[in-house]
Amino acid sequence: MRGAAEVLRYRYLDTILSRLDPRIKIVISIAYSIPTIIFGGFIQLLVIYIPILLNLALGKVLSKYFKTILYLTPFMILITILNYLTMGNIVSALTPVIRIVILIAALDIFFLTTDPDNFILTLESFKLPLSISLSFALALRFIPSMVQQINEIVEAQLSRGLQLDKGNIFTRIRNYIPIIVPLVILSIKRSIEVAESLEIRGVHPKARRTHYIELKIKRSDLIYLIGNLLIVIVISMIIMNTPFLNKYLPEINF
Amino acid sequence: MPIIFDKVYYRYPSSTKYALNNIDLEIREGEVIAILGDNGAGKTTLIKHLNGLLKPTKGEVIVDGVGTRDAKVSDLAKKVALVFQYPEKMFFSESVYDEVGFALKNFGFNKDVIPHIIEKTLKTFWLWGYRDRSPYTLSGGEQRRLALASILAWDPKYIALDEPTAGQDAIQREILIQIINRKINEGKTVILVSHDVEFVAEFSIRTVLMKKGRIIFDGESDELFRRHDLLGDAGLTQPALYQIGRELGLDNFKGRIDIESIVNYIRGLVECGEQRRS
Repeated sequence: MRGAAEVLRYRYLDTILSRLDPRIKIVISIAYSIPTIIFGGFIQLLVIYIPILLNLALGKVLSKYFKTILYLTPFMILITILNYLTMGNIVSALTPVIRIVILIAALDIFFLTTDPDNFILTLESFKLPLSISLSFALALRFIPSMVQQINEIVEAQLSRGLQLDKGNIFTRIRNYIPIIVPLVILSIKRSIEVAESLEIRGVHPKARRTHYIELKIKRSDLIYLIGNLLIVIVISMIIMNTPFLNKYLPEINF
Repeated sequence: MPIIFDKVYYRYPSSTKYALNNIDLEIREGEVIAILGDNGAGKTTLIKHLNGLLKPTKGEVIVDGVGTRDAKVSDLAKKVALVFQYPEKMFFSESVYDEVGFALKNFGFNKDVIPHIIEKTLKTFWLWGYRDRSPYTLSGGEQRRLALASILAWDPKYIALDEPTAGQDAIQREILIQIINRKINEGKTVILVSHDVEFVAEFSIRTVLMKKGRIIFDGESDELFRRHDLLGDAGLTQPALYQIGRELGLDNFKGRIDIESIVNYIRGLVECGEQRRS
C-alpha cells in the first residue's frame, strides 16, 4: 500500500519531458490514446506501445510506470480471467487488459512528468472552469500528503503489534482496517482545512485571477509535438494498410 | 539488558545522505534519557530503529539482547513502546475501550485478562469515564492521554516518546510529566525525544544532543543546558531558567538550575542589599 502510493508521488527529474510545456504533453497523451482505443488487435496495440514506452524512457519514468502496472497486476489478472470465462479465447481475454496497460502508459507521459503545480495552469489554459481545474489539481496535490499519512499510520499501527501479512486472504484484508479508517478520517479533516485555507486566501470560482507563472510554448515543444504526431499518423497508416496487423488477429471491442 | 547502537548508519532509500551517521549509543536498563536536536537532526529516525521499523544500513541495533535486523516489528514492539508525534492520528476503534484493547489482542494477551488491563489502564490515565465514547470526540489533551494509554497498556519494558508535548497546553503538559515520572519510578527505560528544551529541563537526566545525524553531546542535562554555544550550534536555545542563570552570573553554580535556586539567589541578593542599607 505504501509502495503503491509512493509510486504516484511526483519527483522532478531534469529530462526533455519535464521541460516540455504541459499542454504539449497532454496533446501527445491524447494523440497516443486515440489509436489505442480505435485499434483493437493484440499486435496492433503492441505496435502503438513502442513509441509510448520510448517517450516514458525519455522522461526517465519507465521504471515508475512499470511499478504502477505491477501494483495493478492482481486486477489485470482478475479481468483476464473474467474475460476468458466469457470469451473462451486467451488472446481476446488479454486484449482489453493490454489496452488498459497502454492507455495508462499514454496518460503517464503527462501525469508522471508534470509538476502538480502546473496542472491547474494547464487545465485553465484549456478554458476549464476554475472549480473543475482546482478540484483536479488539488486531488493530485493530495497524493504526497496522503503518502506521508499512510506511512505514519502504518508505522504507528505496526508499533501496536498489527501484523498486516498475518492470516488468510480475508484476515489480511481485515488487517488493513486500522490503516484505512484513520486515513479516511484524516483525509476528510485535511480536505476541510484545505477548503478553509482556500477561502481565507480569497479563492473564488468567479474571481478574475492573474498568474505568477505563465505557460509559453517554445519552438522545441512544437518540434517534439510534431514528431510524436507524425509517429502516431505513420503507425496508424501502417496498421490500417498491413493485412497481417489488421486482419490476422481478432479484434476485440470492450 | 541495555539497548545498544553499534556504529549505526542509516540512509533513506530516496536520499543520498545518511540520516544517521556513525551512532554509538548505549541506553542502560531503567535509565531515563533525553534525545535533543532540531528538525532533521535524526531523532525520530534513531528511535524508529528501536522496534525495527527501520533497519540500519550499516551497523547493529541490539534491543534486549536481540539484533533488530532479523527481528519482526511485532516481536520488538512488545518490548519497546514507541509513541509517535501526534499519536492520536492512529485511532480507528469505535470506543476508547476498544482502542486500548487493540494492541493487547495483537500481542496475544489472554481474553480473560484483557478487560482487567483495559480498566486499570483507563483509570490510570483518567479516562475510565470516557470508555464508551468515540476517541474522536475527546479533547486534544484527552486524545493524547488515550494514545499513551493504548500504547503503554501492555506494560512494555522500554518506552520511547517522540515529541510528547507537541500541541499540548500547560495542564496537559503537567499531566504528561506526571505520567512519565510514574513510569520512571516503575523502573522503566524511558527515552524522551524532543526539541522542547523546557520540557527536558523538567527532568535531571542523561541527555544526548544530535545534529545532522550525529551525536555531538552525551552527558547530564544540566551540563548541556549551561552550554548555550553548543545548544545554539544544534539549533536550540537554552531553557529560560538557564538563560536567567547566565545573566545573573550563575555559570559556576553547581547543581541543577531551577526556580528554587534562582529565587534563593535573588532573595540572597535582596537581603544582602537590605543589610548594607541598614
